[in-house]
Amino acid sequence: MSRKILRINMSDQSAVYEDIPEKWSKWAGRGLTSAIVLDEVEPTCHPLGPNNKLVIAPGWVSGTPAAPSSGRTSFGGKSPLTGTIKESNSGGLSSKKIAKLGLAAIILEGEPQDGEWYQLAITKDGVEFKDASDLAGKGMYEVDEILWDQYPNKPAVIGIGPVGEKKLSNAGISVNDPEGKPGRYAGRGGLGAVMGARGVKAIVVDDEGGPGVDIADEDLLKQGRTKLRDAIMEHDLTKPDGGLNTYGTNVLMNIINEAGGLPTRNFSAGQFEGAADISGERVAEMVEKRGGEGMTGHGCHPGCIIQCSNIYPDEEGEAVVSVVEYETAWALGANCGIDDLDYVAEMTYQCNDLGLDTIEAGNTIAIAMEGGQIEFGDKEAALALFDEIREMSPLGRIYGQGVEATAKAFGVHRVPTVKGQSMPAYEPRAIKGIGVTYATSPMGADHTAGYTIAPEIAGVGGKVDPLDEEGKSDLSLTFQAATAFVDSTGYCLFIAFPILDISSGWEGMAESVAGVTGLDITGDDVIDIGKEILRMEREFNKKAGFTAQDDRPPEFMRYEKLPPHNEVWSVSDEELDQVYAWTNGK
Amino acid sequence: MITVDVTLYGDIAHFAGGSHVASQDVNLTEKATVGDLLQKLGLSPDDRGYLFINAVLHDAPGLYASKDAALDDGDHIGIFSTTHMWPYQYRDGIHMSDQLQKAMKKHGSMQNVYGRTDK
Repeated sequence: MSRKILRINMSDQSAVYEDIPEKWSKWAGRGLTSAIVLDEVEPTCHPLGPNNKLVIAPGWVSGTPAAPSSGRTSFGGKSPLTGTIKESNSGGLSSKKIAKLGLAAIILEGEPQDGEWYQLAITKDGVEFKDASDLAGKGMYEVDEILWDQYPNKPAVIGIGPVGEKKLSNAGISVNDPEGKPGRYAGRGGLGAVMGARGVKAIVVDDEGGPGVDIADEDLLKQGRTKLRDAIMEHDLTKPDGGLNTYGTNVLMNIINEAGGLPTRNFSAGQFEGAADISGERVAEMVEKRGGEGMTGHGCHPGCIIQCSNIYPDEEGEAVVSVVEYETAWALGANCGIDDLDYVAEMTYQCNDLGLDTIEAGNTIAIAMEGGQIEFGDKEAALALFDEIREMSPLGRIYGQGVEATAKAFGVHRVPTVKGQSMPAYEPRAIKGIGVTYATSPMGADHTAGYTIAPEIAGVGGKVDPLDEEGKSDLSLTFQAATAFVDSTGYCLFIAFPILDISSGWEGMAESVAGVTGLDITGDDVIDIGKEILRMEREFNKKAGFTAQDDRPPEFMRYEKLPPHNEVWSVSDEELDQVYAWTNGK
Repeated sequence: MITVDVTLYGDIAHFAGGSHVASQDVNLTEKATVGDLLQKLGLSPDDRGYLFINAVLHDAPGLYASKDAALDDGDHIGIFSTTHMWPYQYRDGIHMSDQLQKAMKKHGSMQNVYGRTDK
């Protein structure tokens, strides 16, 4: 059975299964969401209007037996936060279940004429549209619990919190984790508002009795996944008891701080004196000390062998939230001058429940601090800001719109955004390479847009010496293309660490994709395929009105020196323009 | 005599009396080096990952480019265990010592781990 497209039209509550057209047949994950959005969404449409769509797609290898760490689901559409095309992906339960229902993608379009809220249940028998007025207004913890009570098979629940219902630009899309709780988010870019604009509060996906995933070449898949699995299990960063498994992504907090690249107090400094107190090391100490439900080495989706998530416990050992990861701890911690993990965890819970992206939310609080609404470091006041959002007060609605709207409301000009999306936890004045990616990614400032693959492993022609000042544009493009490919596989992006150092892992990734799909792909093709995806995304953005002038870091970084190294952003505009010169035939 | 401020991260924190992160002041002789510091701490270079002196990266897991780096009174040194990760894209363009740059040019500047995997 070939993969199907499930088109759900909320205007008349219809659902149609379509054969996947030839032009999309080779794509999955991010490649597929971007291809569909480019073909079907008018680039100049209003992101919240009737002409935008939400596209949901598992990766190439999602749902296949024992493909390691392959539970990512891509969500695509036009972003209300950036106005660009957007792909944001998440762990959790949805990827494998959608794939096992034989679906390449779900396209959610139209808007209910009755203005009511709906809950959708997708099973092997089709789509059921149910009234969701009893779920409206509820936070995601309660929604996930209610839906697991309603559906005994422990289905995937894709949902939006109150912020998505109000169509605010910092609304993420929640996917439940193996414990049936929110915390896995396609957070960036406000796609929760796009789902809200479709009138859909939650989508339940139950793959019981589904047809499963067709595999073109079992032997090649087995060969590929074995190589990849071996690389993941061998590499110091991803193996059991390795860096990610021990401290999670928050293993980076102290390193980036020691390097002077940790954005602190709204990007006014590169080191935070309280970094150690919100780091992965401290999380590990808290888990050991408090015990109970707390744990490190938690898997965010079934089948993950890296297991970098955690469950943060309170003083009694009861779970507060999963997960306190690096970007979250930084955004709600260092960037707000807050050094108390208990408050960081509580604010993370609020984000998960309300349906907010933690990066944008932390940056928004920092802007409110910069604007004088509350003081940097005032953890009680920071936590209380979430009450404003929950109450949907006028101020709360502004916070829910993210950094740029909040900066305008408070007259702040130190605004760390690119294309409307705020930066993650790496200061481009100290870590210049990532600044090139922040500036030029089709997605806005995105730390996952440029994952590292060594040019020699990626089979890229020409010699690039990363230690030279020249050539940052070539490197950034290579990284962005590799990431676009990995985002299409369904694999977690963290497989990038072992496949950088272990070339058989890189081959294995490509072979596993070839084995499932029958596409003629080897490791040498990955970058070119990634570039095809980037070309589609850039084309959408160009049609939406974006130009080279949008591929720039924020102005203040050119003239404000960042301590401790006291440097400004120094990469030239010409170098930035080189990253995508090839899309203009140059 | 000079005094430096050392923070140890990861399982090596026990050398400074902690479990996952710990700091302590260490007294050393004038013109002491990183090699002297590690010896005084009882920390084997093989158990040491990234190493910073005053926000400048001086070493990486599997290399030992910092051995002869001279320390001054009041320096801050951050030392990480070998389990700590720092992917290339998150360190591309940071401040590095000349010795480490040379070592990385030789061994491959983009590697996440040195000395144990194929290159």
